[in-house]
Amino acid sequence: MNRGSSNENISDGSRGAFPFETDRGRITINPKCPPGSFEGLSLEAGLGNFAHYSSIIQKLEIFEKVASGKDGRVALALFHENIIVGYMVCWYPDSTDRWRKLGELMYEFGAIEVSRNFRKLGIAAKMVTSALRDDFFDEKISYMNGFSWHWDVDGSGLTLLQYRKMMLNFMKPFGFEEYYTNEPNIALRQENLFMARIGSRVSEEDKLRFRNLRFGIVNRK
Amino acid sequence: MLEHYPKEIMTKDGIPILIRPFTKDDQERLRQFFSRIPEEESWFIRDDISDPDVMDKWIQDPDYSRTIPLIAVKQEDGTIVGNVMLHMRLSECLSHVAHLRILIDPEYRRRRLGTWMLIDAIKLAMDIGLEKLVAEFVEGVDDAAMAAAQRLDFFEQDVLRGYLKDRHGRYRDLVIMVKNFHRDWSDF
Repeated sequence: MNRGSSNENISDGSRGAFPFETDRGRITINPKCPPGSFEGLSLEAGLGNFAHYSSIIQKLEIFEKVASGKDGRVALALFHENIIVGYMVCWYPDSTDRWRKLGELMYEFGAIEVSRNFRKLGIAAKMVTSALRDDFFDEKISYMNGFSWHWDVDGSGLTLLQYRKMMLNFMKPFGFEEYYTNEPNIALRQENLFMARIGSRVSEEDKLRFRNLRFGIVNRK
Repeated sequence: MLEHYPKEIMTKDGIPILIRPFTKDDQERLRQFFSRIPEEESWFIRDDISDPDVMDKWIQDPDYSRTIPLIAVKQEDGTIVGNVMLHMRLSECLSHVAHLRILIDPEYRRRRLGTWMLIDAIKLAMDIGLEKLVAEFVEGVDDAAMAAAQRLDFFEQDVLRGYLKDRHGRYRDLVIMVKNFHRDWSDF
């Protein structure tokens, strides 16, 4: 993930698709793909299974499922209009997930991935920027789990620790910060990251509930 | 380097704590914190924490390329209840290593505060590009801290038998524990 050096004008991405030029050609970002819009698309070869790394999403049906879920969000970066070179998927946490205990306050950035062949063009940043323009996020605590076992250290040429730092630096301009938590999956590896962005309209009470839940405490003010 | 602070944590019993670098305003509270560390323990600290000049130097003239001082502060009233120091050497052959020292207010032990401070020190060490953390513990004095470090993948590198003398003149072992930061996953 790289914000890229260019700073092209981005149209209001929360409303519709917009193109931008890169060294690899024109990429179109669709910040919120509705259900039923994935037919005829294909995943570019840099998304898939590799020796030490596999893409989190490898089937178009998953996009359909996410987009059909309540407030589900799929952002796609398309090359030649129908080749997926990057995606971002967001959803409410699963019912078995700790963060679900705060109902629909918590909203997960489930995955952000760009094809190995299209990295360092600023695609990931465009997807995140355009999504966050939506007022929807003002009332949410958006969060992202950074599990090191998902990181493409081979493809990025980074070590685990460099990758961790890259993620911190990448998400920081979007208002995401690392928060400590004893959530067992995060706590499993010290390089793992739990990052969150507290929306501007989240109440003080909800911020406290979030703080408590990070340490496994529910229903205490 | 320290732009991600403060960090919020909670003790096992739900007391909110902030971890952050210390500032000039912390001097008096830091003095009070050190005064609560039992003499059996402060005896082994290489810096004389009872000496106002030592503390003064840390606070007035911080050199983060050599020492990163972090404190745990009770959010409710600002009381300092923990301190971690990461000491680094400027020489290039040791630029990948930091020595860690941790002190926890006796009243805040067995409440997971020390574990969170160790985790924070580990994450900070990762983020500044270190490859190794070294911690020295006094056998029979720092056993709880040693156990916590072990749970966070520090391993016993060496024991210097009878290396230290306690304040009663009894010889004590110095246990050297190391944590390596792995660059990648193994291929197993």
